[in-house]
Amino acid sequence: MDISVITDTFDEWTDVTLSWISDNGEGLFDFIRAVLEGTYDGILWLLQLAPFYVIAIIAAALGSRLVNIWFGGLAGLALILCAFMGLWAETMSTLALVMTATVLALLVGIPIGVVAGFSMALDRVLEPVLDLIQTLPPYIYLLPAIALLGYGPATALVATFIVAMPPAIRLTSLGIRMTPREFIELGQATGLTPWQMFTKIRLPFAVPSVMAGINQSLMMAFGMVVIAGIVGSGGLGETIYGSIRTLDIATSINAAIAIVVLTMILDRLTQSAVDRAKETDR
Amino acid sequence: MNTINDANEVLVDCQSVWKIFGARSSAAAKAVSERGLSKSQVLNEFNCVVGVSGANLQVRRGEIFCIMGLSGSGKSTLIRLLNRLIEPSFGKITVKGKDIASLNAGELRDMRARNIGMVFQSVALLPHRTVLENAAFGLEVRGIAKDERNQIARAALEKVGLGDWTTRYPDELSGGMQQRVGLARALAADPEIILMDEPFSALDPLIRRQLQDEFRQLTKSLGKSAVFITHDLEEAIRIGDRIAIMKDGVIVQVGTAEEIVTKPVDDYVADFVAGISKIHLVRAHSVMQPVAEYKRLHPDANLDSLLQTSPEADIAALIDLTMQSDRDAVAVVENGAIIGVVTTRGLLRGVAGTSAAAVDDR
Repeated sequence: MDISVITDTFDEWTDVTLSWISDNGEGLFDFIRAVLEGTYDGILWLLQLAPFYVIAIIAAALGSRLVNIWFGGLAGLALILCAFMGLWAETMSTLALVMTATVLALLVGIPIGVVAGFSMALDRVLEPVLDLIQTLPPYIYLLPAIALLGYGPATALVATFIVAMPPAIRLTSLGIRMTPREFIELGQATGLTPWQMFTKIRLPFAVPSVMAGINQSLMMAFGMVVIAGIVGSGGLGETIYGSIRTLDIATSINAAIAIVVLTMILDRLTQSAVDRAKETDR
Repeated sequence: MNTINDANEVLVDCQSVWKIFGARSSAAAKAVSERGLSKSQVLNEFNCVVGVSGANLQVRRGEIFCIMGLSGSGKSTLIRLLNRLIEPSFGKITVKGKDIASLNAGELRDMRARNIGMVFQSVALLPHRTVLENAAFGLEVRGIAKDERNQIARAALEKVGLGDWTTRYPDELSGGMQQRVGLARALAADPEIILMDEPFSALDPLIRRQLQDEFRQLTKSLGKSAVFITHDLEEAIRIGDRIAIMKDGVIVQVGTAEEIVTKPVDDYVADFVAGISKIHLVRAHSVMQPVAEYKRLHPDANLDSLLQTSPEADIAALIDLTMQSDRDAVAVVENGAIIGVVTTRGLLRGVAGTSAAAVDDR
């Protein structure tokens, strides 16, 4: 028997299943797309309210305050450079995509991480799933998303959401589990209820780890959002994808520079939040 | 120092309490209660470690009770049994007359929050809270309004001499100051009993002595009872009204500092006591010679010409008196009558730590 019979059958089943899901779940997927794109549009609208130099000034101020004055100045200038390269709209779309996907990943990932921090059983189930998500090439997540949600930012958001979630879950769960033993004992000896133990002892000690998770999620999201240019995410990812296809090397390099600028600014800002959290936790 | 009245209320009562650690601890506990196995038999038969074996102790109201032992002696386990941070394998522990094993989760929390405070060797101050917020922690979790709890916490901090440090964070304080905050946190909740788990072990000697004296004074003036864990016999002697010596999970001896120093029950305790200065522990009544015997040895001596002191005078005071007079003996007077004489020989015996009873076989 030819082996291809088996694979052909499998492919056929997959097609049938996918089209069954998209036919019968049409309402659901329309709804998901509406929510994702609605959130994305809202954030993008907010970012585009202000002209580019106002955003650059805000970035410079935040950078000087949280990191140092040199970083702040550099961040402001780098953003102005993005505008002068004619990529401001794309830069803001990318920022909106990353923010939407990361916020959703944190909204889902942090609570799951908290529960996993308490439940060894859930943690044991999650561990291989998260390993699998992080081992597979991120491209994979575009496939089911594009089949169900079609070409556009919604697909990019789902794939980015999947990739950005694991670090938030892992580091939150780690932070909850790492509460120093003597403070657990203090809580018990003081007569804390389980809820007080969580809010007054475990959560404050978990903050640095959770912050590190937020930073990691953000970085994963940036990686994915560029790849997602291929499914019509809009923003810099699509610019890079389009300019590579037309061999427009100059534009693709400009877009790459804009990505690097955005990534570095957000990385340093969130990293400084992590450091701050660690400092008060000494 | 040892004016403990036996009629005083017993606050904490442990009756043959055992704690056995290990996978088969419940089977081992059963075997111990039914067949009376020893510690090494439990280890051989069940591969379980005995943390505390057959501990009996009573802590009375207003008393500072020290538990002294080396690491691994089970003293940290024993103190955690008293507020049920560790469940006993068997035996009965009552606090204020209530069997703590019978408390449900809510009642246990309430007892820990109101009746039993705890101070840790690691201090365990919450790093993201100010000194005041740390001191008010116990009151905060009991739901006491912010103004009221801050006022109580501030008063507690003033008692430990940190009234000016309320807005600082723990990492701005020295080790000794941090432990004072730990003590203030326990005192703010106004418990009857304070459990002190080697609180001063990590501090340098000078600060440590200072805190020992302050702790004793504060506990006495507030009328609190305390169980104080230490691996340092000198600390136990400075602080404790009574001292329990622990070895391998067993309480070897319980008594006042003087009893332990002058009458150690075995070589283990004797070894500990050997290095301790006795001049503030041994008192006139335990080194004096009976009047008749003194008269027999010194037929021409005039007892009334000797300087006089009470039976409770310690060796240091007796040495001072002997130096002041031209005679080499001091008369011990009780209720107006001379009941004995401390000679130079007696003083030397006291410094060496052997009581007259032991030597003279009186």
